[in-house]
Amino acid sequence: MAIKFPSLDFFQELANRMNANPAEFEKLGFCDTVMGVKVDGDTSHLYSLTFDIFDCSDVRELSSPEGAEFDFMLEAPLSLWRESLESIQKHGQPEPAYTLNSLSHVGDRMKVVYDDPEGHDKFYRFMATIQAFVNQASDLEIEWA
Amino acid sequence: MSYYGTNDFSYNSDFNLRVRDIKKGNLDFSWLDDARETVKVRRKDPRRGLTVEDCEVGPYSIENTPEIVRENRGLAPRGAILAEGSEQPDLGPSLNKKSDVWGYRVQRYWEEAMSRQWNVSTDVPWQDMDKHEIPDEVEIAFCQLCTLLSEVEMIATDLPAKWSHHMNSYFQEVKGFIATQAIDEARHAEVFRKRALAGAGLFRASVRGEHALKGILEADSYSEGSVFLHVLGEGFILTLFRSSEFISPTPVEQRMFQLVMQDEARHVSYGLQHLKYLMDNCPEVRPQINGFLDEAERHLTGLFNPDQLESMIVLGGKGTTPECIRHGIEVVGAFQGKQIEEYFHRAERAGLPERRERSPLLELQQRMIAGITG
Repeated sequence: MAIKFPSLDFFQELANRMNANPAEFEKLGFCDTVMGVKVDGDTSHLYSLTFDIFDCSDVRELSSPEGAEFDFMLEAPLSLWRESLESIQKHGQPEPAYTLNSLSHVGDRMKVVYDDPEGHDKFYRFMATIQAFVNQASDLEIEWA
Repeated sequence: MSYYGTNDFSYNSDFNLRVRDIKKGNLDFSWLDDARETVKVRRKDPRRGLTVEDCEVGPYSIENTPEIVRENRGLAPRGAILAEGSEQPDLGPSLNKKSDVWGYRVQRYWEEAMSRQWNVSTDVPWQDMDKHEIPDEVEIAFCQLCTLLSEVEMIATDLPAKWSHHMNSYFQEVKGFIATQAIDEARHAEVFRKRALAGAGLFRASVRGEHALKGILEADSYSEGSVFLHVLGEGFILTLFRSSEFISPTPVEQRMFQLVMQDEARHVSYGLQHLKYLMDNCPEVRPQINGFLDEAERHLTGLFNPDQLESMIVLGGKGTTPECIRHGIEVVGAFQGKQIEEYFHRAERAGLPERRERSPLLELQQRMIAGITG
């Protein structure tokens, strides 16, 4: 069954897959961070993902980042999220130009919004886990908004 | 043998008599006399196991340790009973003040480091190297970068190792964390060496780069060495790793940089929290740290040596045609700007906002870019 992107169901499915796959994520190590994912389009959507040790323990949709205690937030237009996910679906992992790091680095196609540099550094400290989390979408049937 | 103790225990008659007595069954149990506060140490979260933070209780806690440790100059772990009147050897720790070494959340960084270790031999998809064609000039540029990074990682291994035994044993969490850093950096030197040798080989060692790295190793105090290595140097290298992942020729290098990036960011976080702790608890050292950084930032520009800069430009532009080079210059210029901006932001958060005003980095960067383009 197709899952809509962006949607709470999409991120909840990734969380379920992560929590059902301890072998991969325990090997990557502790991951403790709260991150935001913002998908900009005709209507913007904002999701909060809480990573706790080896799990994604909480996923929710927020109406605004006000009051959310994100370590960092990844913000990009829907078209870029789509390109990135399609690259993952095509290759099982993103091509070099579509890793979360690449997208958020030169050119700032994806913005990393943060307040505290330590929160910002968590994006890099847990990069392999966060990328593996997103890569789980490789075999999802996605219905694009 | 360069250390001869004040007592030869093998010929000490009192000790020998006492051992004979003990072997006859005459135990005096005096070591049981010291009253101990009983503490409860258990796992707070079974999934994490028994963590360093779980052990922060009662007399064992760093919170209950004075800012300056005077009573212990040997190897006693924090919370151990020091025998009264006896002469523990003085191992000469020079870092006996908590603010000399401590960083907020260091216990968590230690646990994170232990749980996120990886293996160069098996966690990088070396088997995929032959699946991808890399143009010769790009491969050579990549190996030039690996050569510099191997040099950088050598110093980053040596600095924590150099300072560890100067730290009072009561600061075990910091000693433990920087031990994880030493193994992280050794692993980074390993991965860059292996990648170079699996490709076009090692290229030119960097004279300018090594002068910059010597400045880190020769810092007069641990805090100076830490702010240079962890905040300034590794902050810059973290951005360089990010860029290197971005310009990686294949998914093999991409994976390599994802993994080294994680370790590097953890070291930066510790350095930031040490600098913050230092500024919060020992603000009188601010002029000294600023004076040191004035020089350290000049040293650091040595990392932008021509070989490295050109190889990054070739990697950024993915070739050596004029168009590729033009694009490469833009890519490298953008990441250098980011390196400097992120450093200023970290310094500001650690309590040194004045770096933005007094730092020579911005001017030097502009001169370098003008030199390349001009």
